[in-house]
Amino acid sequence: MNSNDNTHGPLVERAVVSFDLAAEHHMAGCQPCQAERDHVENALREFAAANREYTTRPEDFWEMQAARIRAARTESDTRSRITMTLVPSVVVLLLAAFAILGRAPSVRPMRSAVPTAQIDADHELLLEVERAIQSDTPRALEPATLMVEEGDGTLPLDPALQNKETRSHEN
Amino acid sequence: METALRSALGAAAQNITAEDFDAIVRRHQRRVHRFLLMLLRDPDEADNLTQECFLRAYQNRSTFRGESSVETWLLRIAANLAHDHARSRRAGFWKRLLGLDGNDNEGIADKLVTSEASPERAFLAREDARAVWDAASQLSQQQRAVFLLRFVEEMELNEIASALGLQVGSVKTHLFRAVQTVRGRLRNLR
Repeated sequence: MNSNDNTHGPLVERAVVSFDLAAEHHMAGCQPCQAERDHVENALREFAAANREYTTRPEDFWEMQAARIRAARTESDTRSRITMTLVPSVVVLLLAAFAILGRAPSVRPMRSAVPTAQIDADHELLLEVERAIQSDTPRALEPATLMVEEGDGTLPLDPALQNKETRSHEN
Repeated sequence: METALRSALGAAAQNITAEDFDAIVRRHQRRVHRFLLMLLRDPDEADNLTQECFLRAYQNRSTFRGESSVETWLLRIAANLAHDHARSRRAGFWKRLLGLDGNDNEGIADKLVTSEASPERAFLAREDARAVWDAASQLSQQQRAVFLLRFVEEMELNEIASALGLQVGSVKTHLFRAVQTVRGRLRNLR
């Protein structure tokens, strides 16, 4: 039996993959299998050597790569630091915005305060009218009264008008 | 050194200094790059992913618990990155379209350093290495990763299992299939 028609194949694989007592026992007594195993292991050794050679790079390459990794790491650190700074600021801004928006509804009653102010103004006007009524002569009639007073000097105001004024005042 | 780095990463990973991490990069970059280059067969992508691997390791250093070696942890990140890269169909499509596919099958055999004395034996050794390379190309990416870690990086089965997140039994199965494929190739050669 030569290595090309080896029928104990799986034992060769098992022996190559890792230590296998049954496979080792078989290899000890089977020359073709032993030769096949040597061949495969030798090819794998050559392959590994070729790979190491294939992946060999000059020292400059490794230094450049390490420098790029260092730069990427520094950038990552900076980015995370910025994020750590920005996140609280954004949270504070959002809270402030919510606080301002939360206050906005309390401003709305100010609209109802406008009529109150108007009411106050009306009240002031009423008080002024009342003061004018309380005085002897309505301010609007003051010029006429003056003219009458200038005419006879002693004539009082019309009693009916005075009563009317008094009634309105009573009211 | 390694113990110090492991304790630095394991105990206070967040407090690791820039100098500590630079030391980790210098110590492991060759192996990570070699693994990615063998897996992807694209020098540019291997370079990019090596950089990405260390950056991710730095950003996720708090997740390292020291249960495996730093190297195994890094190779695991590298394997995940390679897996994600392989899944990126778009990259593969454009590379194939532009003829930039990194399957440098010829190059590997030319790099063969052989101690064989006679030119004939050197030629046969080169042919064997190329056959293994071709066989590795036929493997799934996970099988190839297992195969390369075992026979090029010479890692133990449990280390491979840890690096790739597999059971040791699965690693053995992958290796068995890979060696079977290699053996088939070598048989066709003779």
